[in-house]
Amino acid sequence: MSTTPLRAAMVPVTRQMRAYFAPVNRTTETPTIFDPGLAGMFLLNAPPSPWVDLGWIENFDRWYETPTDVVRSGAKAQPAVQFRGPLEARVELDFRQWGKLQMALAGGSEHMNVLAPAGGSVSPAPSGGTPAPGAAVLAGSTASQLVFGTGVAGTFVAGQLLAVDLDYQQQIGYVGSGIAAAYVSDPLAVKQDPNYVRRVTFNVGRVAEVTETSVLLAQPLLGGVPAAGASAQVVIAFLDREGGSFFQEWSALFVAEEESGGRVCFYYPRLSPNPGAGGGVRWDSANVGTRGSGGNRSAKVVGVPGGKFVREEFAAIESCAAVSLHASFLALPFTDTNDGQSVLCYRSYFPAAMAATY
Amino acid sequence: MQFAKDSFFLALQSRLAGLDPGRTITLNGATVPGIVVVENLPPSSAEPQPNAFYIEWGAAQVVAGHARNAALMSMECVISYYTLGSVASMVDRGRMLGQMDEELLAICQPPNTEKIDYSQSPSADLGTKVFWSQPVFEEKQKTAVDDLAARHPDARVERRVRLNVFFFSEVTLS
Repeated sequence: MSTTPLRAAMVPVTRQMRAYFAPVNRTTETPTIFDPGLAGMFLLNAPPSPWVDLGWIENFDRWYETPTDVVRSGAKAQPAVQFRGPLEARVELDFRQWGKLQMALAGGSEHMNVLAPAGGSVSPAPSGGTPAPGAAVLAGSTASQLVFGTGVAGTFVAGQLLAVDLDYQQQIGYVGSGIAAAYVSDPLAVKQDPNYVRRVTFNVGRVAEVTETSVLLAQPLLGGVPAAGASAQVVIAFLDREGGSFFQEWSALFVAEEESGGRVCFYYPRLSPNPGAGGGVRWDSANVGTRGSGGNRSAKVVGVPGGKFVREEFAAIESCAAVSLHASFLALPFTDTNDGQSVLCYRSYFPAAMAATY
Repeated sequence: MQFAKDSFFLALQSRLAGLDPGRTITLNGATVPGIVVVENLPPSSAEPQPNAFYIEWGAAQVVAGHARNAALMSMECVISYYTLGSVASMVDRGRMLGQMDEELLAICQPPNTEKIDYSQSPSADLGTKVFWSQPVFEEKQKTAVDDLAARHPDARVERRVRLNVFFFSEVTLS
């Protein structure tokens, strides 16, 4: 049977790549599973829970750096068998949209919420000084509605960002409800600050409306229903740092938007930010619209001693430039539950309707 | 090629009917959504009507690098429209044109649709999609700073939108 009329549908065409991330349970190192059979052809604007839509991305590059070598035998050293060397895979991309999660992934280490300062004299600190005290979140709250009791209108107003989490309890280990936001190895390192968890938590939401006793959030908290005893503090800004000892780790799903019918997905069970060896690059804002390392639209310049990794990219808009967050990741292994193989990335393909099978 | 043209037009027509049911025109006594293909109208048709989208097809070619035997083709498409406003003084014609710009941009999303053979009944899904570039909005006249009233006695404001439509040819290349 001729499949010629069906072969055109076998050509995936895409216009752009979309990124979705979901948390890894850091205590058990359990990733969020993307099962193509259960959720493969989801609506791109409505990803299945707990995947978080981080928007369209650009300059998406994947590297698979696992060498394959050959064992040779015989007088003529003929190839006898192949074997794979050390597993390594990387991903690089630019987030065009900035947000709490995008910054955390691009920054790679602890991502800070700059909490609104307390009134009066506060010692300045680059990542935020002494904050205004938190407001206790009451029982009955949900991921989208935080109950504070009467008088909340005098505390919060629509438009504010809130960080919602527990006080730091002097514990050692991962902190952050629902999603590990940092690792504390010594309470003294964080000055036993009860606000520390809210300084780093991913449970941040914008106040959409203030009712008599509660606030409604524009988006649900990533960590779900606030834990009993949680408090909320106003966030002024998001902040990441060059440095830090914590490594973010997330499950990632990249979807090539299907223009011709077939969808291609790249699923990384565990991705950890890692700029790699880099090529020696630096910013050059005067160079917007050019690209030193090939391609275009970047202010990247190659070969600068001491520089290793571009944190932001510029996408020229005539005489202006949109700033995007440059992110680079190292894929960590996941043991496939079906056959026990160690896997860094899964590539799935959902053929277009009526496409030939081969 | 005709399947791609039909699929593109009918996708935009159904989207327009859903987005703005009030944007209609009367053709040969029938009220239809306000988007038509010029080459589907009789040559003796009257002048284009205001507040309606007119699709014209241009040159087509095999996209370089995608020839093989399943050729990816592109075809130029121009969508023109104009408005005289909705009030006698015509002072809202700029707003009306802006509204039509928004509607056109909206009905072009998502920028793809299934390629359907509408020449048979029931219609048949041909298995691939027709997709297109994002529209480019241009002044219909080159000298946009000219006095519009001097160019058009009726003081219309008009737009020409260009986009490229892509599709896989039904013809298998050798």
